[in-house]
Amino acid sequence: MYDRLLAVPVFLPIVAGVALLAMNGWIRREKRERTMQWLVEALVLINSLLVAWLIAGCGGRSGSLVLFRLYGQLTVMFRMDRMGSFFAGLVAFLWPLATLYAFEYMEHDERRPAFFAFYTISYGVTLGVALAGNLVTMYVFYEMLTFATFPLVMHPMTTEAARATRQYLYYSIGGAAFAFIGLVTVLAYSATGTTGFVPGGMLDPAAAAEHRNLILFVYVLAFFGFGVKAAVFPLHDWLPKAAVAPTPVTALLHAVAVVKSGAFAVLRFTYFSFGTALLRGTWAQWIVMAAALVTITYASTMAVKEVHFKRRLAYSTISNLSYILFGASMMSPLGLAAALIHLLAHAFMKISAFFCAGAVMHHTGKNYIYELDGMGYRMPVTFACFTVSSLSLMGIPLFAGFISKWSLCEAALSLGNEMGGGAGGAVGRVLPYIGVAVILYSALMTGIYMLSVVVRAYFPGVVQQMKEAVGGGSDGKAAVIVSQGKSEANQDPSWLMLLPLVIFAVVIVAVGIHAGPVLRFLALIGGEAG
Amino acid sequence: MNQVWMDVVIPGFCGMGMHLKLDGFRLVYCVVAVLMWTVSGIFSREYMAHYANRKRYYIFFWATFAATVGVFLSANLFTTFIFFEIMSFTSYVWVAFDERSASLKAAETYLAVAVIGGMVMLMGLFLLYDLFGTLEIEEISVLADAVMSGNWPLQASDALSVAAAEGAAVSAAGQTAALVPQPQGAVTAYSVIGGADGPTSVWIAGKLPELAWSGSTPGTPGSFFPTAKAQLYTAGALMLFGFGAKAGCFPLHIWLPKAHPEAPAPASALLSGILTKTGVFGIIVVSCGLFGADHSWGLLIAVLGLITMFVGAFLAVFSINLKRTLACSSISQIGFILTGIGMACLLRSIGEGNTLAVRGAFLHMVNHSLFKLVLFLCAGAVYMNLHKLDLNEIRGFGRKKPALMFAFLMGALGIGGIPLWNGYVSKTLIHESIVEYMEAVGGPWAWRLAEWVFLFTGGMTVAYMLKLFVAVFVEKNADPKLQEQYDGMGSEFARKHFSSGNGKDAKTVRKGKGSEAKDHKGAAKNSAAMEYQKPIEKLHASEAANDAHHVYMRPETTAALVIAAAILPVLGLTAHLSMDRIADLGQEFFHVQGHAHTVAYLSPANLKGGAISICIGVILYFAVIRGLLMEPDGAGNRRYADRWPSWLDLENLIYRPILQVALPAVFGTVFGFLDRYLVPAATTAFLTVSTFVGRVMDSGVDWLVRIARLTTHKQVPAVKEPHDSDLAAHVIGGVIDAARAFRSRLPWKRREKLPVREPATARLVRREEQFKGNMHLIQESFSYGLMLVCVGLCVTLIYLIWGFLGW
Repeated sequence: MYDRLLAVPVFLPIVAGVALLAMNGWIRREKRERTMQWLVEALVLINSLLVAWLIAGCGGRSGSLVLFRLYGQLTVMFRMDRMGSFFAGLVAFLWPLATLYAFEYMEHDERRPAFFAFYTISYGVTLGVALAGNLVTMYVFYEMLTFATFPLVMHPMTTEAARATRQYLYYSIGGAAFAFIGLVTVLAYSATGTTGFVPGGMLDPAAAAEHRNLILFVYVLAFFGFGVKAAVFPLHDWLPKAAVAPTPVTALLHAVAVVKSGAFAVLRFTYFSFGTALLRGTWAQWIVMAAALVTITYASTMAVKEVHFKRRLAYSTISNLSYILFGASMMSPLGLAAALIHLLAHAFMKISAFFCAGAVMHHTGKNYIYELDGMGYRMPVTFACFTVSSLSLMGIPLFAGFISKWSLCEAALSLGNEMGGGAGGAVGRVLPYIGVAVILYSALMTGIYMLSVVVRAYFPGVVQQMKEAVGGGSDGKAAVIVSQGKSEANQDPSWLMLLPLVIFAVVIVAVGIHAGPVLRFLALIGGEAG
Repeated sequence: MNQVWMDVVIPGFCGMGMHLKLDGFRLVYCVVAVLMWTVSGIFSREYMAHYANRKRYYIFFWATFAATVGVFLSANLFTTFIFFEIMSFTSYVWVAFDERSASLKAAETYLAVAVIGGMVMLMGLFLLYDLFGTLEIEEISVLADAVMSGNWPLQASDALSVAAAEGAAVSAAGQTAALVPQPQGAVTAYSVIGGADGPTSVWIAGKLPELAWSGSTPGTPGSFFPTAKAQLYTAGALMLFGFGAKAGCFPLHIWLPKAHPEAPAPASALLSGILTKTGVFGIIVVSCGLFGADHSWGLLIAVLGLITMFVGAFLAVFSINLKRTLACSSISQIGFILTGIGMACLLRSIGEGNTLAVRGAFLHMVNHSLFKLVLFLCAGAVYMNLHKLDLNEIRGFGRKKPALMFAFLMGALGIGGIPLWNGYVSKTLIHESIVEYMEAVGGPWAWRLAEWVFLFTGGMTVAYMLKLFVAVFVEKNADPKLQEQYDGMGSEFARKHFSSGNGKDAKTVRKGKGSEAKDHKGAAKNSAAMEYQKPIEKLHASEAANDAHHVYMRPETTAALVIAAAILPVLGLTAHLSMDRIADLGQEFFHVQGHAHTVAYLSPANLKGGAISICIGVILYFAVIRGLLMEPDGAGNRRYADRWPSWLDLENLIYRPILQVALPAVFGTVFGFLDRYLVPAATTAFLTVSTFVGRVMDSGVDWLVRIARLTTHKQVPAVKEPHDSDLAAHVIGGVIDAARAFRSRLPWKRREKLPVREPATARLVRREEQFKGNMHLIQESFSYGLMLVCVGLCVTLIYLIWGFLGW
């Protein structure tokens, strides 16, 4: 019974979303959007509770459910193992809150039913990625995710959105093609004859040893293929462009669900399909690690240069996703655990940051960072949450980001130690240390690009400084602007937006202060798979 | 005296757990912190009264207090780092408080130094953690000793001592149950307990369970570094950078002269007095804990200290801004402390007792905290009345304000190292340690120079404090009206006697300092009582009246300031009673070696050093400051001149260009190039190539045909055919035409009008041409060739079949 229920959380939202699409016209004609919204929220919430129950019920055993066979050994199968339950739990926690946020954000939108339909479908598909029991299933849902989310990117229906959508589709589908090569190779060399995930990998060692370089090459291809969704350089360009989508989409999908599915997929096939024993210390490992490090450096630098609020956050996402990929590329238990803790921490920090940006855009129409002077006084709660997420992104102690960056650096150094014996060659000896330096550099850049927003919001004297720097404008004028900024009424959004924000901030601090249970759980995953 | 009053472990805090401890050193510094925050808190009430953002200030004021105490209590570098970062961020708000462009710029510098310093320090911590697998301050010092003595990886005996050190730490925390020391073979202080928490978990002697998940294997040197020693040095240097940035050590002192003048005065007092000491705390941990007996490290710290003290004092002599001078003085005093720490390492490295150096450094830390509290608050008193800090503008402000003068004088005498004040004691100890080391190594010229740098810097300290004191409290302002206004700002008590009571009659109220302070307090009480009894509507009126002859400081503020100032001479006078005990409490933290012996602070030998410094100071003051650094202002007075070239600023000259121009230029260009050109270029190139290849493959068959036509199926040039070759057409056409003509001439047809028709010959010729052309095309075409081949094949086939059947 338990195993059968595994399919429910995946298909319930998909069915509901399709039904919503079918009734689109009727809802709009009868003006039942509000009822529809609350029904959607209730459904999402029930689904999340179901996921929670399934996770709680899975205990130690990992039940599995074979839904149907595509052909031969190609089955669509769901399974709730530790890693899957981790990602599923994360998604299930965020989705109801993000839906709540979307109510207020989309209140003036024309095509709400369509939006919520695809938003809900994406929920099911993401859970499908999380609960997939083998590579085939994951690949299927990974492809479906592309198609479930592109209407959301296109939602504004502008030329810009259309371009972004087109790019998103090209990149994702192209990437999936490379991933497909990986899938086929895994099936060909599989020790079990299936593609089911096995902690520590399931390639046949003897067969794999014969064609080692071929398999490594395929691994690199598949890494970049799945890496498209994780925005690894040079396949990252779709992500900043996709920031045209409505904020609930950018926040939940392009900071968590879609991009984390990419990172999750990379972790899955690295640790559960190819297996680290085969990859560790090889040239393939150094190539993917170098790609992750280049991405981190690149994206954090570009974020400093960007002045559009959401695009800056998007670049920050690119850099942080590569932190996860950096952890993945360490091919060690510590690396996997560090990647997962960063996956968790970044999900909360970035969704919170995006939601703040969205609240500002929605309530004041300000899109650029230089317009944010003194906003900290006008939207106090929003910016308090933003400050928490900024500090966390920087990796300041007491916040979740510190824990994850510390774990990553620790894992990198321990890898450096391990490679000291010459197992990884000259590159392997140096690369982990460079990785640590890159993370610190990126933390510095994060400090610049996030704190500059916070400082503007809380110390509007910057206006004056700019005026002076330009040479025009008298102090009096600047003072007027400042006082206006401070005197304007509280513009914080309603509880629909604030509740998610506050919950995220609390989680960030809670994880930052007491990360022990999470770390222990992740150490278990790392221990079994690394 | 290594007593521990409190030892708290909070496992799991921020992932690695938190370890706080209260021993002698930490106790002293917590008391100092409480004292400083209390006094500045009282002072802030008045200083901040007119600021709108008070609430923000107080929140961060107390948050920083908590973080600072956390740093001093930490017994684990991880905990230290956590509180250190929190402290950096909360104190940022102090510096940026005014939100003027200058303060924001200063705050930016402060934050940049703090963040960069923090990151670099974190890198050092990573390396250290990587090497040892622990960041417990006590454990790393034992392990570092093993590394430095070449005893690495650990042998059994050392492992025991580590286990003992850990045991001490753990049992104090009440966690003895988990302690599993297994002293056999190398690196056995660490025991691996599998199973309980997954296969990879490594418990480091059962210490903090949170370490369990780390799974890193301590004991092996990082592969990046050739030896464990190299890694330890690198880690130490990185941490020194991080802590040194906070302490204000040269060349990272840049933030102090900018941030201190901009922050509110109570905050400057704390920034200078105690926040810099958190940096010193870290330097002590690194220097005395990790490299306590290392000669080259000691030398590095001592040289850095000497440079820092000299540079700071030199800047202070040139400065003409009250708070900036004090900030530069802070740099200089930190240099004294660092020199003391350096000497402690050096003395230990040659096997001498380093008691003098350790006690000197520690006492100077405490003393400097107290001096700067008093001095910055005095500066705050000036600023909150005048909103100016330029010496020429505030000149003469302190006249006829005995309480303020008393406080400032105590601070100045203390910091100047005048005998009987506390600064003299600590400076003497550091001086003695230099002399001790110099004698131990045979007195080379370099150390004689160091001693003279020390004495000369002491002289400069005297000189710049004299400059400040004379400018604020002795000289009159160039503008007599302003001076009159300043004189009118006396306290309630002073006003009664100076301004209203025919002001110039100062002699009648010149009493001993103690009684003066007492009187003052009495007056303070009265006035406070009066204030409270006033009805509210009259309060505004009284404030307006206050503006007329404004009271420069409220009574409770005055009281706090005077009491804080009185501590300095009290400490100095009871040096053996008070300061020696403080030093006893703190010295264990420095890993002191050798026995403390009572130092006769006022012995002639010790007094000589102080006297030399004072003489140098007085000479410097009259020769350099009054001679070179003052200029006539045109109205017959001499004013303080800003002789420091404005371009000579380490930050603007080096750091900002590097950070703001060079780094962004390099990274920005590289990535801008990548973003703008490389990726699109790669895409375009890919598309072009793939299109080309695709087209080529598309038209592959065409090319085949083309090549075939050029080679195997080359066409024979057409034979020129005669024009009149359409023989059949001409013959048949002629016949038809003739027949037609004949028919039309028949007599019975003659009357009929026959339509004019085209001659048949022409039509037939055209047809034949057409037919021949078609035949040509067919014959010449590829398909015709293929058809012929087919026909040939068919014929061959038929032949073969026929042959088979026939046979």
